[in-house]
Amino acid sequence: MSLSAQWLNIKTPGIPRTPDGKPDLTAPTPRTPDDKPDLSGMWRPAQNMYWVDINARDFFDESAFIPAAETVFQKHVGDYGRDAPWIHCLPFGPGAMFQSPYRIMQSPSIIAVLQGQGGFRQLFMDGRELPKDPNPTWLGYSVGRWEGDTLVVETAGFNDQSWLDLMGHPHSENLRVTERFRRVDFGHMDFQIAFDDPQTLTKPLIISLPMNYQADTEMLEYVCENERDSPHLAGANQDVKFSPATLEKYAGTYNYAGDTPLQPPMRATITVTSSGGRLYFGPFPLNPQSEIKFDSILGELTFSMDSAGAVNGLNFTVSPDPCGRGDDPKPLMFVRKP
Amino acid sequence: MYWIDIVQDLKDESIFRMAAEAVFQKRAAAYSQDWPGTHCLPVGPGALFHGMYRIIQSPTVVALLFNSDVGAGDDYRQIFLDGRELPKDPNPTWRGYSVGRWEGGTLVVETAGFNDGGWLDWAGHPHSEHLRVTEKFRRVDFGHMDFQMTFDDPEMLEKPLTISVPVNYAADAEMLEWVCENERDAPHLPPASQELKLSPETLAKYAGTYEFTGQTPPKKPWLATLTLAAADGRLYLGALPLTPKSETTFDSGFGTLQFSLDSTGLVKALTVPDGLKYIPKP
Repeated sequence: MSLSAQWLNIKTPGIPRTPDGKPDLTAPTPRTPDDKPDLSGMWRPAQNMYWVDINARDFFDESAFIPAAETVFQKHVGDYGRDAPWIHCLPFGPGAMFQSPYRIMQSPSIIAVLQGQGGFRQLFMDGRELPKDPNPTWLGYSVGRWEGDTLVVETAGFNDQSWLDLMGHPHSENLRVTERFRRVDFGHMDFQIAFDDPQTLTKPLIISLPMNYQADTEMLEYVCENERDSPHLAGANQDVKFSPATLEKYAGTYNYAGDTPLQPPMRATITVTSSGGRLYFGPFPLNPQSEIKFDSILGELTFSMDSAGAVNGLNFTVSPDPCGRGDDPKPLMFVRKP
Repeated sequence: MYWIDIVQDLKDESIFRMAAEAVFQKRAAAYSQDWPGTHCLPVGPGALFHGMYRIIQSPTVVALLFNSDVGAGDDYRQIFLDGRELPKDPNPTWRGYSVGRWEGGTLVVETAGFNDGGWLDWAGHPHSEHLRVTEKFRRVDFGHMDFQMTFDDPEMLEKPLTISVPVNYAADAEMLEWVCENERDAPHLPPASQELKLSPETLAKYAGTYEFTGQTPPKKPWLATLTLAAADGRLYLGALPLTPKSETTFDSGFGTLQFSLDSTGLVKALTVPDGLKYIPKP
């Protein structure tokens, strides 16, 4: 699944450099002529899973969502996210800032965010208020202001069509998003986003994530050519049928046995459950591909068995990052808790 | 109306090479049903002729946020002003790769690396991957900008095609979000088989030159005179094929053209969208 653009290597002028020619990412934050921090440039969210699951910090605990929202979420999950708006070339939703690189273009009265997944946001800085009764839109209506050196952006007027994440957490038209951007030095920005939606959330959901300046590269065009970018969750392998009794033998608790540190949302202990003729890994349904191999939106699970045919562990391979970050993922080994 | 028909001023297709003209005729005969915009894809390099856009300028990058791509929806272009050259062998894209420079007070933008999926206009004029576009933006005062666009595509065009349009600053206005919700916005054009057929004699009656008449002159100077021609059993407004809806009404894809007849059956007047009225030139 390629949701965001590819990359080119370009030596960008105007970037502070160390004597060896490398970008000096710890140089001071540039400032505009009116002495505001200049956030202009290309930024990329630090590696994260929030765009997959907005609740990734705590993804086995769905108590942040009220029951009605949780029901909608479970339905989206059960459908393997097939109705996700972005699969139909519609905007990703309010979690887009976690998902793709973006370019900020700053002027005193307006700041534009050019999104790596296509489209743009306009943040009005001219002191206007949020409209009282806005026409609901996919990206909402955004106004910004400076609080010291922090850009604070308030967004309202969302429609309820978009999802908060790839998994399918819903939001209502009453969603309000508050974002804080603080560029701490040339190469680094602290980003915080708060989702407030009394109709779907039990309390505001606040996420902080570092953003990194992207020197000497650029965003290439991303045009969604309709259904071609759908994730390859082709559905269950119809030849693989399991009785509930068979599924039970996979259910259990598994402990991480590897030595490389785990990235969120992966945890040292994961739970596989069997429910309604389907296996779940945390809240994520598993899509059977063979007797031992299961697909999920987060990645692939391969169970291992001892000589007696009892399941004794699993290997988890995280889906390749659509932004192409980092090395190819290595399988993470888990052993079953007796 | 350049986004509808890029050669509306020329009233002549001869600037296109024969292969390009064949593609155009095929698309026109199919009522532009495969226009990329119908499938929520970018409409092509003529997107700036239609709708609003916002320019955000920095010394190294100029961004065009446009609300004008009725196909793909709101999108942007990045124009690099840091002195880089156009890539030698770019990966073809819908919007191409743009670099800009200042020539005095004029921003000159060169774009190459288009794919051949876009159309030059809604009517269906094609371009190849060799298309090069040169745009010149010159802001003459606060509220006005001269915009010139040159299309150079030796594979499709006999010679470069240059179009100039004035662009007006939109004060106290803003762009509303435009998201293409897939096929739901497809134009509701009838399939060709259901098309009403009019006799060549009827069509010939409508052919000719029409002059604007009325109190408020058309906002666009090229609308002062309209030329209608009948060819191959079809009526054309300039190069734009019209679909008959009745003996006297035709669909142009951007609205209805209505002919009124006098008691002897001769054309008395032509009304086009926006209520503009024309009379046949004697």
